[in-house]
Amino acid sequence: MISVEGVTKTYGRFGRSTRALDAVTLEVQRGETLGLIGPNGAGKTTLLSCLLGFLRPDAGRMTVAGREVDDLWVRARTGYMPERLGFDRDLSGANFLAFHWRLSGGDPARTGTEVEAAAQRVGLDRAALWKKLRAYSRGMLQRIGVAQATLGSPEFLFLDEPASGTDPLGVAIVREQILAAKRRGATIVLNSHQLAEIERVCDRIVFIDRGRLTRSETLRGEAASRRRAVVRVPAGKAEDARAALAASGIAAEADADGSLRLADSSDADVARAVKALALADVPVLEVRASADLEELFRQGPPS
Amino acid sequence: MVHRFLRQKFSSGGIVIALSAMALLAASQIAGTGGREGSQFGTLALLILAAGCVSKDASGGALQMILCRPIRRSDYLLGRYLGILTGFGAFLIGASVLGIVFARGILPLIGSTARPVAFGELATELAAAFLGGIASAATILLLSTFLPGYGDVLGFILLTPLATLPDLAGKVLRAPWLERVGQALRENLLPSLDWGAVLRGRDPLGAPTGRWVLAVVLYLILALAVFSRREFAYGQD
Repeated sequence: MISVEGVTKTYGRFGRSTRALDAVTLEVQRGETLGLIGPNGAGKTTLLSCLLGFLRPDAGRMTVAGREVDDLWVRARTGYMPERLGFDRDLSGANFLAFHWRLSGGDPARTGTEVEAAAQRVGLDRAALWKKLRAYSRGMLQRIGVAQATLGSPEFLFLDEPASGTDPLGVAIVREQILAAKRRGATIVLNSHQLAEIERVCDRIVFIDRGRLTRSETLRGEAASRRRAVVRVPAGKAEDARAALAASGIAAEADADGSLRLADSSDADVARAVKALALADVPVLEVRASADLEELFRQGPPS
Repeated sequence: MVHRFLRQKFSSGGIVIALSAMALLAASQIAGTGGREGSQFGTLALLILAAGCVSKDASGGALQMILCRPIRRSDYLLGRYLGILTGFGAFLIGASVLGIVFARGILPLIGSTARPVAFGELATELAAAFLGGIASAATILLLSTFLPGYGDVLGFILLTPLATLPDLAGKVLRAPWLERVGQALRENLLPSLDWGAVLRGRDPLGAPTGRWVLAVVLYLILALAVFSRREFAYGQD
């Protein structure tokens, strides 16, 4: 478990200080994937930096599995991917991964196997693996960054904008790696502006604004607080659909694009809604669950 | 860590060219003096090797990727220090070998009469240059833990004139106590030791040697203390 208790961090001094984190308290349960959301300059990267031991909080305490964040035991079980990979660009991808495998305490005899497996996981072929990092595109750097972070299947994964700058295939690969880490029980903290990706992989999100934790929303499981079913019908049929749902006792809000957000989103409610629409001869184009993170992001902190 | 340091340095074309030029200059001087001089180019080579030894890693983000692994900060710092010394040692040996090749192979070919290489003298010169480098590398390492970019080398170059300031101020202000403070600072923080003479047996366990050892230990401890406490931001919120 990752625990953050009343952490405050201020940059600068002599009257020109900026409070990057203000008494932030949160917990990430073992095996949970937590998304950090907030505008630029909100304090997300500072929080990650503190969790990784790069920065020291002015006040408060942080622990990972009950130990100090810079404990070597914790670090041996940590994977980290920075937003921009600033590593020795003269290294080949293979040597970069091999260096990090050895640095993480991996068995030297298994270096080659692990490096190839990690590269395969993120879709980097042999030719790409032997290119120098300076010849990598942004997307390739992000992929090898994820491969590096997931080397040795770490228990704790800290990812900062892992899919930033990647093409749709790269985004899917990064997502698959995060989901694979989730499946094997890793505890993940993900900082990303890609709300759709956050929604797909995170169990919970916290909003950070001006250094403060303003909101926490559970996206999955029994306690899911934000997930709502969205039924999409042809735009011209939205009003008919809303009326058909209302006649069946199902409350819904209609958007201009034909999306109807159901007030109640249990599986039974969704089934009832689809049936009501079918009976009213309204074609159902899509049924999905949405946490409306974008809407939440636009709303900002609760008043 | 030592291997990574050497790879970082020797994979840069600019650094290889600069070190090669230094090695050629040192070799020609070694050849010309029969191995009795040539170590002054070693100081320049050391500056090239040690420049930005920690600061460049910190500003580029590589340090953060290393420090999130199970590596002690002290291990990283020691790796950088040993890397500088290994590179410096290799430079000195390479320049000496080149000097011998010049003296024995090239100078006779062009009809120049060089002094025969005195191997004992050359070995003493080499060892003296290397020992001098130990203190310089420790000083640059310390400066690199908190100065950005190549500020470490600049700081190192400015240290000597800065250290004479209290002494000078004492003379100008006719304050003997300030002169004494300046002198003590210079002697203890920037001890100059003629390692050539020490290696030839002149007072090897004297006070200057002791001050030199203390200064090196102090610089390394300070470097570790500063580096252990230092924070490394890696991006924008």
